[in-house]
Amino acid sequence: MRTTFRLLIGALVASLLTASAAMAHHSFAMFDRSIEKVATGTVARWAFNAPHSWLYINVKNADGGETLWSFEGSAPQSLLTRGISGSTFEPGATVTVSFCPMKDGRPAGGIGWARLANGTFVNPSDGGCDGSVKAIEKWKAWLAAGYTSSSDAQKVK
Amino acid sequence: MSVARSLRLVAVAAFALFNAPSTIVAQPGAFGGGYGPPLAVVPPPKTFQTSEEHYKFLLAAAKGGTKHTITSVPRWDGLWVTAGNTHMSSFIDPPGFTGKVRDGVLTPPYEKAYKERWRQQVELGEVQYDRLTHCEPPGYPRWLLEPYSHEFVNLPQESYLINDFGPGIRRIYIGQEHKNVYGTHSWYGDTIGFWDGDKLVTNTKYLLPADFTRWSPMTSNQFESVETWQLKKYSGDVERLEVQVTFYDRHAFVKPVNAVYAFRRGKDLEAAGHRVQHWECETSNNDVFDKGTTTSRLPGEAGFKDARGSTLFPDLPGQSRDPIYNTTLPSGKEQK
Repeated sequence: MRTTFRLLIGALVASLLTASAAMAHHSFAMFDRSIEKVATGTVARWAFNAPHSWLYINVKNADGGETLWSFEGSAPQSLLTRGISGSTFEPGATVTVSFCPMKDGRPAGGIGWARLANGTFVNPSDGGCDGSVKAIEKWKAWLAAGYTSSSDAQKVK
Repeated sequence: MSVARSLRLVAVAAFALFNAPSTIVAQPGAFGGGYGPPLAVVPPPKTFQTSEEHYKFLLAAAKGGTKHTITSVPRWDGLWVTAGNTHMSSFIDPPGFTGKVRDGVLTPPYEKAYKERWRQQVELGEVQYDRLTHCEPPGYPRWLLEPYSHEFVNLPQESYLINDFGPGIRRIYIGQEHKNVYGTHSWYGDTIGFWDGDKLVTNTKYLLPADFTRWSPMTSNQFESVETWQLKKYSGDVERLEVQVTFYDRHAFVKPVNAVYAFRRGKDLEAAGHRVQHWECETSNNDVFDKGTTTSRLPGEAGFKDARGSTLFPDLPGQSRDPIYNTTLPSGKEQK
């Protein structure tokens, strides 16, 4: 009985975690999908390419400097049907993104959702992080409370 | 069982599940699956020893095939996207990450190799080798399930089956015999075919060793296939291009393997303004294996390639490959 229960829980967890279709030509094991973070910066480049798109943004550091962060998203053939095109992220525009960071600590991650300067949320994610409507709704509350890390937000329950 | 041991098991299972998303998308219902009624494999009418024997049987049954003209040849114009496949059901039981490699489907050396690949996928969350990461073509049979967009152009003497990733273009020579004047094999091989009414029947040979996809079995240089393509219509305005396939591989399979792949019209892509173009592998070139796992080179790192950067002549005006915005990224020393 307990074994069955554990299997059911496992299946549920798996179905939730695999909801987004992966169109990748590599795995997403490079990203730490156990944590979601948020960063705000200005767009340096939106590389709207197949098989993966990449959003590059300059993020201000605490010391006043800037770091170029790289975020991997889905392919144009998928993003076009979500209302995202090659001009969605214009260079110089302010954008806030959620991402699952690279495990090796470099300034990059799998992108989840993105909030444009006009407040609109879009979902450019591939399988590297969750950009679903459910994730956006969850993060709206967390952002309002000032959180930029899922681990911090989840501690306060 | 102690609580601590139970928790450890749950933690291990959760880790494996968390890191194994691709195993799910490899199953029926993935790669566009779930559109229309469940896909059903239609096995060939009898067992054949070779793909050539199979193809000739079908050709004879079709009395040499239908001789279409430019006005009668079935038209599959427009954009298409994948609508699922069943190939993993032949190799994994039950479907999904909890499944195990079926015994006796693959020959001993290929089964052993696949069990290691499947172990990596389930336990490590990734298969530690993917040809596409190195910018090699998807090849065949992987071409059948690659997502992105497709076009299928039928002419009386030839059909062109196009996937925009790569791009990968297969040519079907209607009413002809196989040719291999090059004396070697290639990623998409040599495909001949005939029409049986509205069904396109093909035979593909002379393929390079490849795989179905990175979490699927490997194939050998003796891999061949017989495909039957047909546009099917179902209630609810569901239109699906279905491909019944029998795979032959005397090195890899104990006996031929059957599967069905499907495509649906990409009306949503057409509405979004998508047109097929050449997607180069430059972005892929930033994906590498490092310390046994997949990772990506970032801007400024050695070997980073900027797909929207400039050409070999950056000092000349108009050499940006991102003319709309003409932005720049920190450049790394590209690997030659």
